[in-house]
Amino acid sequence: MKKTMKILKSWPVWMFMGVLVVALLAVGASKSEGPRTQEERIDSISRRIACPTCDGESVYVSQASASQAIRNEIARQVAQGQSSDNEIVGFIQDRFGGQVLLVPKATGLDALVWALPVAVFICSVAGLAVAFRRWKREQGKDPTDEDRAIVAALLGEDPTDEENI
Amino acid sequence: MNTTSSRRRRIAPYIAGIVGVVVVAFLVVLAVSSPPESTVSRSPLLGQPAPEVVSTTITDEAFDLSRRRGSWVVFNFFNSTCVPCRQEHPYLLSFYDNQSTSQTPAELYTIVNDDSDGAVEAYFSANGGEWSKVRDDSGAIAVAFGVAKVPETWIIDPNGVVQLRIIGALSENFLDERLAELQKNFEGTQ
Repeated sequence: MKKTMKILKSWPVWMFMGVLVVALLAVGASKSEGPRTQEERIDSISRRIACPTCDGESVYVSQASASQAIRNEIARQVAQGQSSDNEIVGFIQDRFGGQVLLVPKATGLDALVWALPVAVFICSVAGLAVAFRRWKREQGKDPTDEDRAIVAALLGEDPTDEENI
Repeated sequence: MNTTSSRRRRIAPYIAGIVGVVVVAFLVVLAVSSPPESTVSRSPLLGQPAPEVVSTTITDEAFDLSRRRGSWVVFNFFNSTCVPCRQEHPYLLSFYDNQSTSQTPAELYTIVNDDSDGAVEAYFSANGGEWSKVRDDSGAIAVAFGVAKVPETWIIDPNGVVQLRIIGALSENFLDERLAELQKNFEGTQ
């Protein structure tokens, strides 16, 4: 009964902590970085697109002619000011295929890339919580004669000796 | 313990034999396989109106794809240092010659990809090819068509709709045959 009351008393604190974390994450995710210059937009979009003719490089760092052409196209579309960053990335993806996306999409099968780590994290935390509870429960048990014999054997003492119990 | 090691010793030659056979088969396949042929490739542009192409030729004439409506247009993305581009050149020459006698001739254009006017001029002077060579200095045409590597060849119908994309070097008569098929289908729908 006492234990249950203790848990009930700690609930509001945990609830408050949870709400606070979610609120902070929501604010952080939706926070606007303010207006960006055209150069910043071009750089930001270029970093999201892989060079189509070389491995492991973004269009932003690659010196390949195909990357240069894509950078020029991004600059042209940014200068026109008619497309959002995602629309420009979508245009490049339409032309060169999904393999040019350095940041996977959050839809379809690609969404697994984002969802799996979160699922693994939640499962790990839940698993740890269960393990801690079990260890805590087992910790409260009195040692058996067998346990005492093991400890005594390690310490080189007689387990039947009353002083050692 | 001894039984296990003797069994391993018996199995080992068989495993080594299988690995050897697989490696030899792989080498044989590599040795006898023919070089890659022309590949018709997918593109979201197929069946769609061709992107806007406004540029100039290396002889400073204006080029606007939208003004070529009514004609079959073939774009060949080219770089004078690209080996497959050089390999397919004889086939482009014969394609160009065949078009001069065709009832529905296609217009062939080279789209210069990351190359200088001088290098392109020198190449065509030495190897032939009287068709127009369109500049793409900023790479805008290549990006509009999603061309990352040359050569690539595209066919656009008289309505300005993209009909075919061929990735890699052309093989003999490949372009002629694909164009003839497209023209036949196109006439059927008109």
